[in-house]
Amino acid sequence: MKITQHIKVAALTAALATGAAVGSAQAEEPIRFGLCFDLSKSYTFISPQVAQAAQDLAMYANDNGGIEGHPVEMVVRDHGNEPQRGVECYEQLKRDGVFIFNFLSTPVSNAALPRIMKDENILMQSAVGRGDAVDGEVFEWVFPIGPTYWQQAANDVAFIKQQLDGNLSDAKIGFIYLDYPFGQEPIEILKTLAEKEGFELDLYPVPLPGSDQSGAWSKIRRDKPDYVISWLLAGGHVVASKEMRRNGFPIDRYLSVNWMNEVDISNIGEADAKGVLRGTNVAGGQEVPIIKTMLDTYYANGKGSGPEEKVRDVYYNTGMSMYSAAFEAARIAIKENGWPLTPETMKAGYEKLEGYDANGLMAPLTVTGEDHGGGGKTRVEQWDGEQWVPLTDWSAEYLDVVWEVIKESSEKFHVD
Amino acid sequence: MFYRLSGVHHADYISDSRMFKVPADRNLAVFFLIIGVAAPFIIPSLYLNSYMLPWLIWTAAALGLNLVTGWAGQLHLGYAAVMAVGAYSAIHAAKFGVPWEFALIIGGLASSVIGSLFAFAALRVKGLYLALTTLAMQFVMDWVLTHSPAISGGSHASLQSPTLALLGQDITSDAGYYYVAFGWCVLVTIFMLNLKRTGLGRALVAVREKDFAAAILGVNSFYYKILAFATSSFIAGVSGALLVATFFFLAAPEQFSVNVSIQVLAMVIVGGLGSIIGSYFGVALILLVPGLVNGLVAAGSEAIGMQINVETLAHIPNAVYGALIVVILLIEPLGLGKLYGNIREYLMVWPFDQLRK
Repeated sequence: MKITQHIKVAALTAALATGAAVGSAQAEEPIRFGLCFDLSKSYTFISPQVAQAAQDLAMYANDNGGIEGHPVEMVVRDHGNEPQRGVECYEQLKRDGVFIFNFLSTPVSNAALPRIMKDENILMQSAVGRGDAVDGEVFEWVFPIGPTYWQQAANDVAFIKQQLDGNLSDAKIGFIYLDYPFGQEPIEILKTLAEKEGFELDLYPVPLPGSDQSGAWSKIRRDKPDYVISWLLAGGHVVASKEMRRNGFPIDRYLSVNWMNEVDISNIGEADAKGVLRGTNVAGGQEVPIIKTMLDTYYANGKGSGPEEKVRDVYYNTGMSMYSAAFEAARIAIKENGWPLTPETMKAGYEKLEGYDANGLMAPLTVTGEDHGGGGKTRVEQWDGEQWVPLTDWSAEYLDVVWEVIKESSEKFHVD
Repeated sequence: MFYRLSGVHHADYISDSRMFKVPADRNLAVFFLIIGVAAPFIIPSLYLNSYMLPWLIWTAAALGLNLVTGWAGQLHLGYAAVMAVGAYSAIHAAKFGVPWEFALIIGGLASSVIGSLFAFAALRVKGLYLALTTLAMQFVMDWVLTHSPAISGGSHASLQSPTLALLGQDITSDAGYYYVAFGWCVLVTIFMLNLKRTGLGRALVAVREKDFAAAILGVNSFYYKILAFATSSFIAGVSGALLVATFFFLAAPEQFSVNVSIQVLAMVIVGGLGSIIGSYFGVALILLVPGLVNGLVAAGSEAIGMQINVETLAHIPNAVYGALIVVILLIEPLGLGKLYGNIREYLMVWPFDQLRK
């Protein structure tokens, strides 16, 4: 009898102890983000900054009590821009309990997309991958927060229209682009808008990697477009700036895609780049509150997740904007549906973001079940020789035209 | 001792031209075949679908390249483009409603036709010139894919593959995908093993060693070169189609870009030109080791609690992997297949290796 009693007591204590252990473990269970990035091949111009921003933001959240009490963990892996390794990374992290992924590479995002959709995990796909994924009714689990290239191009046209006093009927707009899918994507929308607004559209394809543009720019000199919209990357901008000088094209009529950063500006020369335009969905510079906080709290004491120069790069802000939105979505999800955070609640959390701008970091986001991009707002900034000055307010134009293209493309996708 | 030779006598030609002359080799092959069949039950799904499956498909592809480069001696730098032709034709055929069995064959044949068409032009030149011509084929294919939305699947250049179905059976499970890849790899391996002991294989080797010497012996070297290109392209096409159907589930131009061509060639060279088992090793090294080393380095740095910058962390595995290739090729320039051969030869007479002298 006595022995059984002892056993009972022991069993009870053990049970209680396990229960308590489970309880405290639950409170500390982390929210894990999978960052399978290309840190060694093609995307190295952006991925280190984004990874660093994500880690800094996670550190900041953890130092301030986590997201609704749960710490955040960033799992960073390299996939070298190889689809095969990206899938491998996804499969591995998936089994480790990660369900929020970011691949930050178009080929790898494309390769992982069918799996993500089948497994119903969250894919953060800002700035990469297929543009029609903003259609939340088709791509339920994909969140390409930010503008699509189509929307960005449409906003650029709207900006030019505004600069030309609201009339594009006798305007001429040039489009210089890298001749592969990234650069070709906006052509369709530009053609539609050219028909709608009556401007003349001239296309200037440039072969990869954009180091030979002399042919394109001598044609531009002959055609004399009012503005040139540019879908080039990194070094391409530097070559373009040289060609502009040689062909007498004013640099303040050169409107770049969001991929133009401080490194490109310094390669062009800070003074020479004066006047250049850039469409963007994040505020550049270090005056943004959250970036300032990072610099003051961590980098001033040498505790940042990487070198400080990476913070002084607009792609750091871009990374910050991706993860601010994700953290906010997770916060809403846990607040409304409690722990554990699941892909379903995370999705619902994202879809409840309304007018969220991370305290002035980016264009206000309103994500809905239909629009997973958050509205596609951008603005145009101009380099004044020292910093980027916004010329317009955040806005998204020609939404009907853009959504027609999105719907047309997304309806071809289906999950078997 | 391990590869026992006692009692093994080849008294006639048929016996001498057997696939496995040493019983131990055959037993080993059977053993791995059994493991391969049992793999879905003994290997965790992560390793099955993200390591084993791509490994088998790429091995089949590498064996195809080995046929044209290792056996026939023709350097081929556009192999990924040939795979792309197969993948895209098979998917379009399957989308059109053709059953997958035929779609795969259509993919293979389309690759074969395009691959040998290029060979017609290419075979007027040799060596490095041939390499450059095949490289040109790669760039032509890249250009076609990025400039024809009808082929590549719309402005995003990604083409979804319909669900794979073979013999009236929809294949959707990890094990199912694995068996398809495994079956294809076994088929190609058996073909290659047999190639060694046929007139075709010997003709190819003759062409490789000196094509005009082969011509003097009555081997039509041009014909055999074209044949090698066509056969290897067929294997490439089906492998490319299967890669998309069982692993990526959608085709994108980046999956078949020039660096992939270089990678397959590296698999064949590191594995050993003209070595079948070497292709298995070479693919494992080129395809799987970067990911594995990456995981090891990440786990290692976590375990010792070292704070390494993510970028540095990403480059360490690359350095390790590069060094590994250099070391292997320094130790054995003929590749991993030869390395295995050396071990096998050593074990054959061990511990009585003085007998060999």
